[in-house]
Amino acid sequence: MSAARNTIDIQEPIMTVPTPPPFDPELAAALTVMADFIPPSLTMETLPALRDASFMPEEDFTRGGAIDVTELTVPGPAGEPDISLLVLRPAGETGPVPALYNIHGGGMIMGTNRLIPTEMLDMVVELKLAVVSVEYRLAPEHPHPAPVEDCYAGLVWTAKHADEIGVDPGRIVVAGASAGGGLAAAVALLARDRGGPALIGQLLICPMLDDRNDTVSSHQMAGLGVWDRTSNDTGWTALLGDRRGGPDVSPYAAPARATDLSGLPPTFVDVGSAETFRDEDVAYATGIWQSGGVAELHVWPGGFHGFDMMAPQAAISQEAKAARLRWLRRILGA
Amino acid sequence: MVRELAGRLAALDPDASAAVQVIAYFDRLVATRAGLEAIVRGAAVLAGCPARLIDPDHRVNVRVLGDGRRDDAAVPPDPAWLHAPLGYEHAVLWLERPGPAGAVDLMVLERATGVARDALERTRGRAPSGGDPALVELLLDPAATEADRLHAARRLRLPETGVWAVAIAGVPPVIEHAGTRGRVDGRRAGVGTIGRVADLPASWMAAKTALRFAAEGDEQDPGPRVVRADELGGLMVLAAAVGTDSEPAPDVRALDHAGTAAPWMLATLYAAASEPSLRTAATALTLHHSTLQDRLTRAEHLLGWNVRDPQGRLRLQLAFALRRLHRHPPA
Repeated sequence: MSAARNTIDIQEPIMTVPTPPPFDPELAAALTVMADFIPPSLTMETLPALRDASFMPEEDFTRGGAIDVTELTVPGPAGEPDISLLVLRPAGETGPVPALYNIHGGGMIMGTNRLIPTEMLDMVVELKLAVVSVEYRLAPEHPHPAPVEDCYAGLVWTAKHADEIGVDPGRIVVAGASAGGGLAAAVALLARDRGGPALIGQLLICPMLDDRNDTVSSHQMAGLGVWDRTSNDTGWTALLGDRRGGPDVSPYAAPARATDLSGLPPTFVDVGSAETFRDEDVAYATGIWQSGGVAELHVWPGGFHGFDMMAPQAAISQEAKAARLRWLRRILGA
Repeated sequence: MVRELAGRLAALDPDASAAVQVIAYFDRLVATRAGLEAIVRGAAVLAGCPARLIDPDHRVNVRVLGDGRRDDAAVPPDPAWLHAPLGYEHAVLWLERPGPAGAVDLMVLERATGVARDALERTRGRAPSGGDPALVELLLDPAATEADRLHAARRLRLPETGVWAVAIAGVPPVIEHAGTRGRVDGRRAGVGTIGRVADLPASWMAAKTALRFAAEGDEQDPGPRVVRADELGGLMVLAAAVGTDSEPAPDVRALDHAGTAAPWMLATLYAAASEPSLRTAATALTLHHSTLQDRLTRAEHLLGWNVRDPQGRLRLQLAFALRRLHRHPPA
């Protein structure tokens, strides 16, 4: 308390944090069970342990022979190391197929290109499309622009060499969840601005877009659910260091910084109402509409960050996945 | 990042930690007042097989696959599958897997049935049976310990006082209280004395006695189908005098004999014994007053006593009471 009590101290936020929206009942139950495995707040100190814990054993992506799996090493950004692409194709499909260019999540600081949502494997079989999953360098060891440039280099290679991997270069969708969604949005901006590959869509699943970490939802969900504002600060600071939240952050690092959202491919954005990214994701879709673009936005009530991946059985998770599938069918004409 | 919930739970050993997770999951569903589908889905996902809730009384048939997808089946459940009654009317939760049940299966069944019962009671009204038959029996057992009794009362959500037992012909015992939607659907029933939870064994004894005084309500056994113990007074004492092998008193034999003379006989006599006046008795029987008088004259001839004076009326009432005690011997 200070002498400024009777005046408005503009240094202090005068807003009180509103009550957070409740979690969906089934998601709340799932979250209770998983609470031991996912702390809402992640710090640099706990990162090594979490990286170890999130290391996943080699997963079989072949679906009993229905999916062909290839691992490719392709050139990275100019002057930088090569990158790895994991390519999943529907077995027996000879002609070129559409591709989902998958950028994995993990807050910019965790994960590998083997983090492929189960629903994408289903899509390979059901929609007869390829998944190309890119391995990118992680912060803080490799700050911006290393992650996004790796992702972009992989996309450029995929479009250029589409015939080599049986992909239709005119039907590539960039896709990602969480940090992967943020990177996918950034890659779409890069493709637009550098005259890169023409994308047929961008699938942004609860994307991590805004380094400022200061929306109402980011305050509401502090200490709650999955990936709260502390975790978010950890991720963005790892990527941007002191520049996080400052005046000179590139939209290719944090797409929420983009002032021009025109000229983007048809966009799908979804997010839970009970998560840090709600407001920035709604704002991104709104920005696309305001720029004359095409976007489909779903806000799932009571969803925490990544709810449909962590509690795929919940009714609302099934709805969320079904909505993505329907959008993809429309976009790809599949 | 974290893998799926189902995978997580499948990876757990069927030990205490898995049980704790199951409890935590369903507790949270209770706290958020989740619906039936969410509860059945929880059972399916945690047990890793399809689960189904069937409540024939309310046409509830919810089936969810192990991956959480809703898929209501047409085929009836296999009796060999793991299952548990909810203690709510005839509702049963099924896990579509043959036994033997593992520790997690048992925990899922126990928690899911409890939560589903609450949800059904909340949405469809409290079960008139008052819940789990085993808990009810425990409360009615005079040999049960105080601690067990209190635990059972809590599980059944009974108030501490203002409770009573109900004996219904052909069905398990029922406990009711002021908040219960009492329903005996036409069966003979005896309602026990009202009191505290601790008095329930005595209430149950009284209910069983009252049931013996309850009539079928037809031509051969006219009278009330539902009898309240606290309205019986001294007749309660009479019940103890009539056992399974007691000889019927001459008046009972006389009543039986009269009953064989005409189909209307017993109903007519019952009306004469129970209605405030012969005029109201005639109305109840939809007879002209003089017709009733003629019938009673014939009945008195068969019985051997006057049923129209006060002593004769009491004698007739007692004969009816004794006759019911013989027809409905102690269980």
